[in-house]
Amino acid sequence: MELFFQQIVNGLVLGSIYSLVALGITLIYGIMQLPNFAHGHLYMLGAYVTFFMITHYGLSYWPAILFSVAALVVIGMLLERLVFRPLHHAPHINSMIASIGVMLFIEATARKMWGSDYRRLDSPYDGVIDLFGLTITEQRIIVILSAIALMIGLNLFLKRTVIGSTIEAMAQNREGAFLVGINANKVSLMTFAIASGLAAAAASLAAPINLVYPSMGAMVNLKAFVIIVLGGMGSIPGAVLGGYILGLAESISGTYINSEYKDLAAFALLVFILTVRPTGLFAKEAR
Amino acid sequence: MLKLIDVTVKYGSSIALHSVNLEVNEGELVVLLGANGAGKSTIFRTISGLLKPAAGEVKFMGQSIGGWSPDRIVKAGIVQCPEGRKLFPEMSVLKNLTLGAYIHRKDKAGITRSLENIYELFPILYEKREQPAGSLSGGQQQMVAIARALMAKPKLLLLDEPSVGLAPLVVEQMFKTIEKINRDGTSVLLAEQNAFAALQIAQRGYVIENGHLVLEGAREMLCDNEQVRRAYIGA
Ligand SMILES: Nc1ncnc2c1ncn2[C@@H]1O[C@H](COP(=O)(O)OP(=O)(O)OP(=O)(O)O)[C@@H](O)[C@H]1O
Ligand SMILES: [Mg+2]
Repeated sequence: MELFFQQIVNGLVLGSIYSLVALGITLIYGIMQLPNFAHGHLYMLGAYVTFFMITHYGLSYWPAILFSVAALVVIGMLLERLVFRPLHHAPHINSMIASIGVMLFIEATARKMWGSDYRRLDSPYDGVIDLFGLTITEQRIIVILSAIALMIGLNLFLKRTVIGSTIEAMAQNREGAFLVGINANKVSLMTFAIASGLAAAAASLAAPINLVYPSMGAMVNLKAFVIIVLGGMGSIPGAVLGGYILGLAESISGTYINSEYKDLAAFALLVFILTVRPTGLFAKEAR
Repeated sequence: MLKLIDVTVKYGSSIALHSVNLEVNEGELVVLLGANGAGKSTIFRTISGLLKPAAGEVKFMGQSIGGWSPDRIVKAGIVQCPEGRKLFPEMSVLKNLTLGAYIHRKDKAGITRSLENIYELFPILYEKREQPAGSLSGGQQQMVAIARALMAKPKLLLLDEPSVGLAPLVVEQMFKTIEKINRDGTSVLLAEQNAFAALQIAQRGYVIENGHLVLEGAREMLCDNEQVRRAYIGA
């Protein structure tokens, strides 16, 4: 039983990371109908920035994360402005291909600059906490709580502020948003900024648990796409719930079935849910 | 106030509007009559910047707005209540109205005042203010759409078939409301298939057929016109 709860905690940690990444993808998809295949690689960049800020520039953990988020916000906005905005009036497939190009470009750049080595970031919080008989590392608690705080913050921003609600307005009715005077370009820019910032935060939180290496974004990306297909493309609650479902499914199947199969669990779940609900858990009616 | 000069609009290679000339003066209520597919919405979408004219000029208060983005045109004072409403269905009625005042978002007191006016005009929207806009009946959604447009405090209001799909009693009320909005100082361009009701409240009108403006004139002239009577009033 203790092992089971331990795996629940691990699942929540994984789920937190997945949800934050999936939220970014779903936000961008919601307003631009663009599946940003490069998103996992923004996640990877976020991990590297935090890693180097700590190991080379001597920043402590939280300032390094803040710096990484800020850096990725800028990179995200540059991507929108320089790559995706010019393609806005081109056929849809062009932006998708461009996002794959960006993905390859980021990974190649990372390999060239930092090599293909696996790097380890030591956690400043390596103590353990005893919680109801479970021993949990402090870092894991930090991941879980920070993710929750970020999601609550995002939700308040989207629901309670006029600027935040322009993102949802554009996702719910694009032309309706134009006709009330919302500037499409500003919303796209803001959405890329938020999504990239979330990816950097997720990566930085996870960095002391996982290893940092150039292709670390690829698997996360794949999982995040599973999640948003599972949760319903463009759905925010779907991304959050889907992230936790996948995280828990992986960690539990990894323990009780076979750790070799833990990635398989994700895709088995995807196939199963899409068989039962082809449009995903939270799919919106066609507009 | 608004002037379309020889405006031509294409969808791909097919021409939807042929050299359209149309004018709305300050304070006027002008009706645009036409059958299904005649090009009414195309004119509206062009004025709002959702479509770009292939040729010709769109002028608003002295400025040429032909290539402007939709949000810039809203800020200039032209606001459209579009065909199909285009509400934010999962947001509350109140949120839809608040976003209607997006361009005035810094003026909190002004928004509160506009909301009061709206609730006076459409009391039912006050009752429904916390409900998702998508859950309302067709007529109520139409009210939200008009109210949302009014929240932007337009100088010129474009109404694209606001009566479509509504019960006759509601239609009558809708036209009274439009008349009142115009009397209160907003210029209105109204697209309608319901020519009889629209001509009751309009001062002037245009008739569009297959992308050509074929007739224009004062209300009395259009009401008496044999062609209009046969085609749109059925008398
Ligand atoms: N997106 C589009 N692509 C191609 N052709 C279009 C498009 N939208 C409209 N059209 C065509 O342009 C013409 C004018 O359409 P428009 O929607 O302006 O008519 P309308 O007068 O508003 O009709 P309704 O009363 O049905 O709303 C029609 O022949 C229509 O088929
Ligand atoms: Mg129309």
